[in-house]
Amino acid sequence: MANHNKMMCPRCRVEMNHHCDKLVYTTDSQDLGQADPGLGGIIQEFHTRPKCGSGALRQA
Amino acid sequence: MSHSRALFIPVILGTARMGRRSLHAARLVTEELGKCAGVETELIDIARLPLPTNDAGEAIKHAEFSAQITRANALVIVSPEYNHGYSGLLKHVLDSCLKEYIHKAVGIVGVSAGPFGGTRVIENLLPVMRELGLVTIFWDVNFSSVQRAFAEDGRLLDESFTRRVDKFSKELIWMAKTLRHGREQISLD
Repeated sequence: MANHNKMMCPRCRVEMNHHCDKLVYTTDSQDLGQADPGLGGIIQEFHTRPKCGSGALRQA
Repeated sequence: MSHSRALFIPVILGTARMGRRSLHAARLVTEELGKCAGVETELIDIARLPLPTNDAGEAIKHAEFSAQITRANALVIVSPEYNHGYSGLLKHVLDSCLKEYIHKAVGIVGVSAGPFGGTRVIENLLPVMRELGLVTIFWDVNFSSVQRAFAEDGRLLDESFTRRVDKFSKELIWMAKTLRHGREQISLD
């Protein structure tokens, strides 16, 4: 389920650091189909840019 | 990355009630934090955030508040205790962000007119902080009998609070630096 491609900072063009996965429960019918059946929700990955310090997220 | 970069640690005043004494506490914490080397801070007054009340959560994200939390390395929440809890407006504001908080430090300052200094509101806020992805520190500041801690004009009457704020700030700064390093350098994979 995890996305193993390194996320790149759109501004700095450096690899971001994947430091957190958060389980998000949803009632949105569009998202329900993407929920991890074992966990019951969607995993969001949180990434931080070592160069500029700001963050970004994406769905795992 | 060098850790000489300044930390940004805003102070959120968690009440809009008229005549709030928590404003004095929030100003004191902001002033003391601002004296710490390498720390930039500002007071965020939730009474000044024009969030709608006909929706909730990230759907009502306020661009400026979101940008401040994104920039932040840590937060201080100054909350009075109303009927053993925090204000509904504080929760409404906090819920408008999520990704902005992840793996950042938070310290809580409780304020009350009674003898317990907001200990109950702090305990009530802890599980909320955890679910938002914030990392709590184990120092609090408790302004008990706040009406005796500050004069009407906001002057601090009990100087012992500056030492408590200093201890609290040092712990918060350590956690903010540690978590910044972790967010930027330590991978989950």
